[in-house]
Amino acid sequence: MSIVAIGLSHRTAPVTLRERFAFDHARIPATLQVLRDSRIVDEAVILSTCNRVEIYAATSLEPAQAFAELYQFLITTHDYRDPINDEIYRLAEPHSVEHLFKVASGLDSMVLGETEILGQLKQAYDLALKHNHTGGRLNKAFQKAFNVAKHIRTDTNIQRGSISVGSVAVELAEKIFTTLTDRNVLVIGAGDTSEKTARSLLSRGAKSIIVTNRSHDKAVALATELGGRAVRFDDWASEFADIDIAISSTSAPDYVIDRVKLAPLMKLRKNRPLLLIDIAVPRDIEPEVNLMENVYVYNIDDLQAIAADYLKQRQKEIAHCEQIIIEKVRELLARRWPGATAAT
Amino acid sequence: MTWFTDRHLFLLAVLLYGASTAYSVSLWRKGFREDNRINYFLLLAGFCLHITAMGLRGFSLKHCPVNNLFEATMFVGWAIVTAYLIIGLVARLRFLGAFVSPVLFFLGVFALMPALDPPHGPKPEFSGAGVSVQAYGAFGLSAVAGLMYLIQEHNLKFNKLQAMLSLLPPLQRLDVITFRLLRNGFLLLTLGLGIGTVVLEKHGGEYFTDVKVLWSILVWALYLALLIMRVKFSRGGRRFAWGAVIVFAFLLLTFWGSTLLSPIHHQ
Repeated sequence: MSIVAIGLSHRTAPVTLRERFAFDHARIPATLQVLRDSRIVDEAVILSTCNRVEIYAATSLEPAQAFAELYQFLITTHDYRDPINDEIYRLAEPHSVEHLFKVASGLDSMVLGETEILGQLKQAYDLALKHNHTGGRLNKAFQKAFNVAKHIRTDTNIQRGSISVGSVAVELAEKIFTTLTDRNVLVIGAGDTSEKTARSLLSRGAKSIIVTNRSHDKAVALATELGGRAVRFDDWASEFADIDIAISSTSAPDYVIDRVKLAPLMKLRKNRPLLLIDIAVPRDIEPEVNLMENVYVYNIDDLQAIAADYLKQRQKEIAHCEQIIIEKVRELLARRWPGATAAT
Repeated sequence: MTWFTDRHLFLLAVLLYGASTAYSVSLWRKGFREDNRINYFLLLAGFCLHITAMGLRGFSLKHCPVNNLFEATMFVGWAIVTAYLIIGLVARLRFLGAFVSPVLFFLGVFALMPALDPPHGPKPEFSGAGVSVQAYGAFGLSAVAGLMYLIQEHNLKFNKLQAMLSLLPPLQRLDVITFRLLRNGFLLLTLGLGIGTVVLEKHGGEYFTDVKVLWSILVWALYLALLIMRVKFSRGGRRFAWGAVIVFAFLLLTFWGSTLLSPIHHQ
């Protein structure tokens, strides 16, 4: 008996195709039962997320035959009649187990190294286990996959650093302020990225949000959504004494914050540190402001460069992670499979 | 082994601080991205030898060994390494050793210069010197925290990725640590100078004409100015950190000279 994997993911198929093959979570136990009743597989786990649909199975059939049957099962279950080429991948041992380990470790994810997939994989496995659709083979393989994911998370830098603009901004704030829980945030310009950044800061405990925008109605709408309050665009400077972090994303052609305007405001703030995040193009904050004491300015290029560097570092770690995975797969497959009886 | 003295033990401790300093260079280059347990254990081993040397000296004298420049410098180093070992129990703060070890190494090399350890006279009366030396230890740690602040602040402004990758604590925390250590050092120095005044007055000594005392008052005034700048004029951050580093550098560079020129420290 060997482990095989069949499915499609963001790497091979567009969302229009992935959504056609997605499994309704409530129906997965019944689908697994049908699959096992068909005698194609002895054990099976179905993983269905927005980025991938995969079946991991332990089968006594030859891999080629198992793939043909599983492919047919996928097509029939989803009543898919359109042409399909290489979107569906088929993996036999040891590649199937390697793939499982990579998925668990976030190496096959769209956001490299993310951890959400591990939770989804655990849920998929628990569901199959609960309904007795797993046995010795898959139990061991999945348990090992979870261990490998933990090992990779703690012993490599694959999950280190933030790779989105919002989370980089949060990380920067944490490098400046002892805690984010008492921080007041000012959002200048109700754009999409500033909203996401503000949400990231709120999720880390920021105390309050003030929104200002040339269109006051938009400011009110965003403030309501974020649980903050809106101020008129001409009045935002009056809020500066209590502000710790400002996110600016207006479409103003000139600088909204410059050195001349900020210098007296900093005195009012008793020179407490101020983090300014400028995600506007053209820029809202004069670059020389960064030279002022206790003021830290980051523009969109800075944030993206940091995110890109983190991503580069994660990518550098891939080879190290893959080496760990190859060793762990070899270790697993070299052992006998005690208790590898098929589920009944 | 009569040839093996407390000075030899202290020399071994300084060699370990030197090894830690050499190791720290690599940590500086990496940008403090990892928990450096190796440095912690090097400094712990150095501390064991250091405290044994101090203990031997103290037992042989039957009083606290802060009677000459060698002993006083050894005492400052001991205060710094002890504080670090306590702080370093928290894994994420262990990297501070990269800043502490060079200070310890240079203090140790300085202390070992032969002229700084002349033979002792009779047991001195408690004069507050020990308290003042602890104050210098606190000022040293404050300067270390200030230096960390300046590095992190510079990186956050001009070397942004390095700042993100670094394990250095947030700027606000470093600023508070610099301030608190400096304030505590100032209180200890005030206490030490106060005790010294009382003791010397009792013995009819000329306290306020002694070079070392005048030097201590100058140091006290410099730290007072820094504290006023911070508390009264809200001048925290970069300027305060520079102040802590510069005044401590002045203290280190002039400490030995003022001691050698002081008659009451050579009685």
